[in-house]
Amino acid sequence: MAKYLLRTFAIAYLFLLVAWPVSLVVTHTFANGFDALHAIFTNADLLSALRLSAIAAFIATVINTVFGVSVSLLLVRTRFPGQRILGALLDLPLSVSPIVVGLALVLVYGPLNGWFGPALEAQGIHVIYATLGIVLATSFVSLPLVIREVVPVLREVGDDQEQAARSLGANEWQTFWRITLPSIRWAVVYGVVLTLARSLGEFGAVKVVSGNVSGETRTAPLAVEEAYLNFNQEGAYALAFVLASVSVICIAIVAVLRHRSGKVHS
Amino acid sequence: MSIEVTGVNKRFGDFVALENIDLSIPTGQLTALLGPSGGGKTTLLRIIAGLESADSGTVVIEGQDATGLPVQKRNVGFVFQHYAAFKHLSVARNVAFGLEIRKRPKAEIKKKVDELLELVHLGQFAGRLPSQLSGGQRQRMALARALAIEPSVLLLDEPFGALDAKVRKELREWLRRLHDEVHVTTVFVTHDQEEALEVADSIVVINQGRIEQIGSPDDLYDRPANDFVQSFLGPVTTFNGRVVRPHDIDVTTHEVPGTTAGSVDRLTRIGLEVRLDVSVAGSDAPITAVVTRAEALSLGIEPGSKVWLRAV
Repeated sequence: MAKYLLRTFAIAYLFLLVAWPVSLVVTHTFANGFDALHAIFTNADLLSALRLSAIAAFIATVINTVFGVSVSLLLVRTRFPGQRILGALLDLPLSVSPIVVGLALVLVYGPLNGWFGPALEAQGIHVIYATLGIVLATSFVSLPLVIREVVPVLREVGDDQEQAARSLGANEWQTFWRITLPSIRWAVVYGVVLTLARSLGEFGAVKVVSGNVSGETRTAPLAVEEAYLNFNQEGAYALAFVLASVSVICIAIVAVLRHRSGKVHS
Repeated sequence: MSIEVTGVNKRFGDFVALENIDLSIPTGQLTALLGPSGGGKTTLLRIIAGLESADSGTVVIEGQDATGLPVQKRNVGFVFQHYAAFKHLSVARNVAFGLEIRKRPKAEIKKKVDELLELVHLGQFAGRLPSQLSGGQRQRMALARALAIEPSVLLLDEPFGALDAKVRKELREWLRRLHDEVHVTTVFVTHDQEEALEVADSIVVINQGRIEQIGSPDDLYDRPANDFVQSFLGPVTTFNGRVVRPHDIDVTTHEVPGTTAGSVDRLTRIGLEVRLDVSVAGSDAPITAVVTRAEALSLGIEPGSKVWLRAV
C-alpha cells in the first residue's frame, strides 16, 4: 500500500513540476501550427542567436571535456597535497548563482576596470561583450558535469587494466587511448551531453557578460527572454521549444546508447 | 642468472615492506615467492616488474640494469590476481595488445595470437569478450597475453588466488606443464604452501619483509632453516620441546621404552589419514599425531584411548 502511495506521489510531483509545464511549452508553440517555428527560422536575428548559442556551447563542451577528463585522472589516479580542496572547488560552479559568475568574470576581464581586461583589450582581444566572454561564462557554469560523471567510473574500474597495458609495453598516451578512454567512454558521453544541454541553456552568467546585442552577442536563451518581455509570447515559446528539444534529443540518444552498452556488457 | 635483486628496501610510511633483500633467480626455472599475507612478497614481485619502485637497491634482469626503467621498457610479462582483462577487447585482441603496441605486421600478430590461444586452450573463444569467460579461462587469457610479448621473465601475482579450489588445482598442474613447454623464467607469488611445493622448482620463503630461506621444495620441507619455515610449509606440533611434523610421531597402544604416555582427546578423519589430538601430562597444548586410517583401525584407537608417543 505504502509503495503505491509513494509511486502516485512521485508521479504527481513530476507531472506538476516538469511534465505539464514543459508540455504546455509544446502546445503553445504549435497553437498556430508551424507558423511560430517557421517565423524563427526566417528571422535573421533569431537564427544568429541560435548559431551563437550553438558555437558557444560547442566550444565550452570541447574545453570542459578535455579539461574534465584530465582533472578526473588527476583526482583519481594521483595523490597530491590540496587534492580534496580541489575536488570541493570543482563543485563551486554548480552551487554558485550564474549571475555571480558573470559579475566575477566582469571583475577580472572587464575592458575598463578588470584585472586583465585592459591589458587584453590593448592586444585587441575582446572578452566581455564578445563571444569569448560568452564561451568563458558558459564553460564556467558547466565545468563540473563531465568530472562528476567520469570520477566515480574511473574509481570503479581501478587501475589494474592500465598497469597491465603498461607491462605490455604501452606508454602513458597509448594506455590512455587504448585502455582508459574506452573504459570510461559512456561516462564521458553522458558528461558531454549534460554539458552541451546545460551550456545551450545558460542564461544568467551569459546575460551579464554578453552585452545582449541582437544579432551579435545575443544567445538563444537571451532571445527567449527578449521575445517574452516584448509580448511576443508565441515566438518565446517557439524558441524555448527548440532549445528544450535539443536537450531532450540529447538525453534520449544517451539513454538508448547506455541501454545498448549495458546489454553488451552484462 | 635471470633476475638479480640486490639490497632492496621498501617502506610504505612507517611500515617496512622489504628489508635488505638479496635474491638471484636462475634462468628457465619456476620460482615461488611464498609467505603469509603482508609479508612483502607481492611488493618484491612488483618491484621486479617496475610497477613499484624500491627505496634503495638494484634490480638486474637478464644482465641489464632495470632499476631505473619504467615497467613498459622492462619486457616482463605480468599476470594479475584479478586478471586485469581488457574488458572492451575480445580475447584475441587482449592477447594481441602487446604486439599491436610493438607495431608488428598484422599477419604475424594473427599467427602468434592463434598459436598462443591454442597453447592456453582458448582457440574457440577468440572472438568472445572477457566477461563471457570463466575465471580460469580469463586467467589463461591473461597468461597468453603476457607470453605474447616474449617476455624475458614471466611474473605472476597470486595467479590462482581468485579461483575456486578445484580450478586452482587444475590450473597449477597446467602451469607446471606449460612451463615445461615454454621454459620462460617464471616467478609466482603465493601464500599457499601446497601450491608452491607442487609447482615450483625453487621456493623463496618471505616473511615480515625478509627472506627466511631459499631452496628446492625438498630442502625446505625436510631441512627447514627455522621454525617459521617449518611451520609455514606444513603442519607441526611441539613434542618434548621439539617442533616436529605430526607424521613423524609414532603411535603405539602399549608401553615401549623411550615413549611418552598420553590419552587421545579427539580423532579427526582427513581423507585417508586420521589426526589424533593427544594430551600428555606436563604439556599444555595437546600433541598432534597423524596415522593412516588402517593403522588407527588396527590399533583400535578411539577417544579416551591410552597411547604412547615417540618422535621418529
